[in-house]
Amino acid sequence: MSLSLQQRNTRILLRWLPLVMLAGSVFLYFLMRSHILHMQEQQLHLKQNNIWRAFTTSPGGLPLHIRGEYDIVPGPPASIRTSDRPRDTAIRFPGYASETFNLLTSRLTDKGKSYLVTTYISSTEVTHLIIKIALADALIFLLLLGAIVVVNRNISRRLWAPFYTTMDTIRSYDVRQNETPNLSPDTGVDEFNRLNQTLSSLIDNVYQAYRNQKQFTENAAHELQTPLAIIRSKVELMMEGAALNEDTAHLLGEINDANERLSQMSRNLLLLSRIENRQFPEGETVYLSRLVQKQTAFFGDYFQDEVPKTTTEVEPGIQLLASPALVEILVNNLLRNAYIHNVADGYVRVCLNRTGLLVENSGPAIEGDPARLFDRFKKGREDSRTNGLGLALVHQICQLYQFGIRYSYYSGVHRLTVTFPSGS
Amino acid sequence: MKLLVIEDEPSLMASITRYFRKEQFLCEEATTFNDALQKIEDFRYDCIILDINLPGGSGLKLLKFLREDKKRDGVIIISARDSLDDKITGLDYGADDYLTKPFHLPELSARVKSLLRRKYNEGGATVDLDGLHIDLTARTVSAEGQPILLSKLEYDLLLFLVTNKNRVVSQQAIAEHLYDGPSDQAPGPEFVYSHIKNLKRKLKEKGAGEIIQTVYKLGYKLVV
Repeated sequence: MSLSLQQRNTRILLRWLPLVMLAGSVFLYFLMRSHILHMQEQQLHLKQNNIWRAFTTSPGGLPLHIRGEYDIVPGPPASIRTSDRPRDTAIRFPGYASETFNLLTSRLTDKGKSYLVTTYISSTEVTHLIIKIALADALIFLLLLGAIVVVNRNISRRLWAPFYTTMDTIRSYDVRQNETPNLSPDTGVDEFNRLNQTLSSLIDNVYQAYRNQKQFTENAAHELQTPLAIIRSKVELMMEGAALNEDTAHLLGEINDANERLSQMSRNLLLLSRIENRQFPEGETVYLSRLVQKQTAFFGDYFQDEVPKTTTEVEPGIQLLASPALVEILVNNLLRNAYIHNVADGYVRVCLNRTGLLVENSGPAIEGDPARLFDRFKKGREDSRTNGLGLALVHQICQLYQFGIRYSYYSGVHRLTVTFPSGS
Repeated sequence: MKLLVIEDEPSLMASITRYFRKEQFLCEEATTFNDALQKIEDFRYDCIILDINLPGGSGLKLLKFLREDKKRDGVIIISARDSLDDKITGLDYGADDYLTKPFHLPELSARVKSLLRRKYNEGGATVDLDGLHIDLTARTVSAEGQPILLSKLEYDLLLFLVTNKNRVVSQQAIAEHLYDGPSDQAPGPEFVYSHIKNLKRKLKEKGAGEIIQTVYKLGYKLVV
């Protein structure tokens, strides 16, 4: 499972800090307990000394028993064993609640007489103290845990801020746009500076490679134009030649066909790369209704014998803000596609309204994946009538102007729909 | 008719001049900016075919110079730069027509002749050949006094063939000529066939004779 840096940080803290704190608490508890026991022992010894001194210096001046304080038993039997270590006991004194005492019993002699001296210290208070301290300790640890987590989150947020900035900048970066992202080389953190520098140089390299490749396509297509024009003109001059026989005419015809295909392909490639490079001026009003009417009328006439039925439903007055040349190419390619990939006695229907342009035609089902319809050099059939770039151009133009494009096929009817963004 | 071809690609220059000389045009050549400037200053031409990318300067500058000098020579720009901007700039500078490379020689020829017709006949022109009468203003055709009803495409097709009479015109050249838009976007040239067929049928019905020949694999030719 992937978590954000902060979540992971918090999670780790929450997993390990309580353990460390628990261990700390247990240690503290035992440490304190041992210190307190030691202190009680010292107090018992001190108390015993004081009582014994008072008892021996003024005989009869001290009572033999004070409840909860001491007991002096004269002439104890020798069988009672004593030790120098205090021990715990629970003693019930009438009228008092049961209390735990710590007591020390020693056998002492004064003027040849033996006494058993026992001194008491209540250990209940001490136990309460230990519990209170432990509780306070737990509370402090809990507060500390919360504080650590909060502080840590804040610190990491502040520390990683340059990282998130970098990430946002890169995410919105598109190599096709002609701008390189602005990654600050001085974030105040050495690691992030290095990250930004590395990313910047990486992006520069990628952009250079992309540009070179684009430039190459454009240059290649452009440089091809002149030789193609020369070949075409020479072929046309040869067509005039009286020396042509059927065989050479045939060969010449084939050269011409191939040259025409090449010529069109290179122009379309040039066009594609120009659209990608956004070399078309924008912001002109295109009178789309008029354009669609005109183009459809031409295509309808031109393909009169092949596709006899053309219907149009064009809402008047529809305008777009775009390059007129590109919009014309868009409409043209959609129409040409509809007429060329048709069936005998077929039809083409063109609808234009505020939301979009629909071109519908009868035709055989396309082979292959409809999703790849807009790919370059994807051809329905191997024939010279198409160069496989028409719909790629359509797609590219739609992308440029943020038009939506959709293709559907249902029982012999192809539909290509271009939707305009609302408000254009 | 006197023609000046300004083009820096010698091979293309040779094709253009050869094509026009065959029709009794007087062709002069200029391959650099300065060369062209000299010729423009010294002579008058009926039509100038002007390339934009020239060694030594832009063809657009030549055009500007020509128009500032109040010279009315017809100018047709031929350029590989087919962006819309160039076309608009060229026409703004006073060019009469604009053709993108690569173009078809019959197309260039048709543009030149159309320009010359506009220039010298002020549009009120008719063409007569082999019993066929074409009224260019009214866009009507008749044979032996009988009107022939042609669709717009058929009329354009006939006129294109007539303009390039006795020359072979390829299907591609016809398709691009018929299409009123960017020439490289013209629809399938093989569909030209059906229009030729219809045109031939209509001409034959009115007794205009078999003037349109199919040149196998190459294209069509109007013979008179």
